[in-house]
Amino acid sequence: MQKMNKEEMGEFSSWFKQTFKKCYCEQGNLIDEDRFSELVQLVLDGEADDESRTVFEEKIKSCVKSNFTYEKEKSIQAEIKAKLCAHRSELPKDLAQTIKNSVNL
Amino acid sequence: MSEEQQQEEQQVRKQNYSESEKTDIFDNEFMVHVDSMYNFAYRLTFDEDDAKDLVQDTYLKAFRFINSFERGTNAKAWLFRILKNSFINEFRKKSKQPSKVDYNEVEQYYNSDDAGANITTDLRVETVQDMIGDEISGALNGIPVDFRTVIILSDLEGFTYEEMSKILDIPIGTVRSRLHRARNMLKDKLVSYAKEMGYAKNE
Repeated sequence: MQKMNKEEMGEFSSWFKQTFKKCYCEQGNLIDEDRFSELVQLVLDGEADDESRTVFEEKIKSCVKSNFTYEKEKSIQAEIKAKLCAHRSELPKDLAQTIKNSVNL
Repeated sequence: MSEEQQQEEQQVRKQNYSESEKTDIFDNEFMVHVDSMYNFAYRLTFDEDDAKDLVQDTYLKAFRFINSFERGTNAKAWLFRILKNSFINEFRKKSKQPSKVDYNEVEQYYNSDDAGANITTDLRVETVQDMIGDEISGALNGIPVDFRTVIILSDLEGFTYEEMSKILDIPIGTVRSRLHRARNMLKDKLVSYAKEMGYAKNE
């Protein structure tokens, strides 16, 4: 698999910065929660670069509404993930052996 | 030759494994993912027999094309990509819950400005805490397959956006936006379900 090239990474980083700006009004108040939750997703998924993450973390320290949205998204995502992961289908007992037989191993 | 061309050439470079190397790769790099593969297949097809056939077919193809796999690279992503392609090309047609929706249209809609008005984001943490895995899985199964897939790959299987973009053959920006839409769709389903069941008095 190919690695993400510098151009793609740069594009992602610029998108984060531009989107971040659009989330806030001139007074620095959060005005677009849906857009902001898209940024939260990137941070929680570990996909935001260091610079973007720093800007984000600084903001949630000083903005109550941003912090609330972040913590809420974080908790919901963690709950959903944990419950989905715990609810996995059991592997049929014969499947692994059937596969190996089918390729003569 | 450009860097991109070199990378592409590297990507399709054939290996020449001996029989014992093939067995070793198959056992130690491919078969260790059979549980994840089956779970992915089951969440795509909703049918135990179809899921088993899909996984078996994927492993047969993986073995047949084992010389296209570079040892030590991401076997799980490689296998998931084969499974996803097999599902699209063969199983989607005969699936017991056939798709009657053009998912490109759905995605265009969800990526449009109109979509925002219909997306609910007022799901409460307590509501999700009150639900059991079966209910959340049911809600996940209720969203279109292309959106369901990104949640499975990201939240259940732990793939990065970059890996998902390779598995799904879509740009990384599309992975980001599709995953965001998918999670909102899932939340929307959970809110509706909570209302129906009387879990969410104030939502």
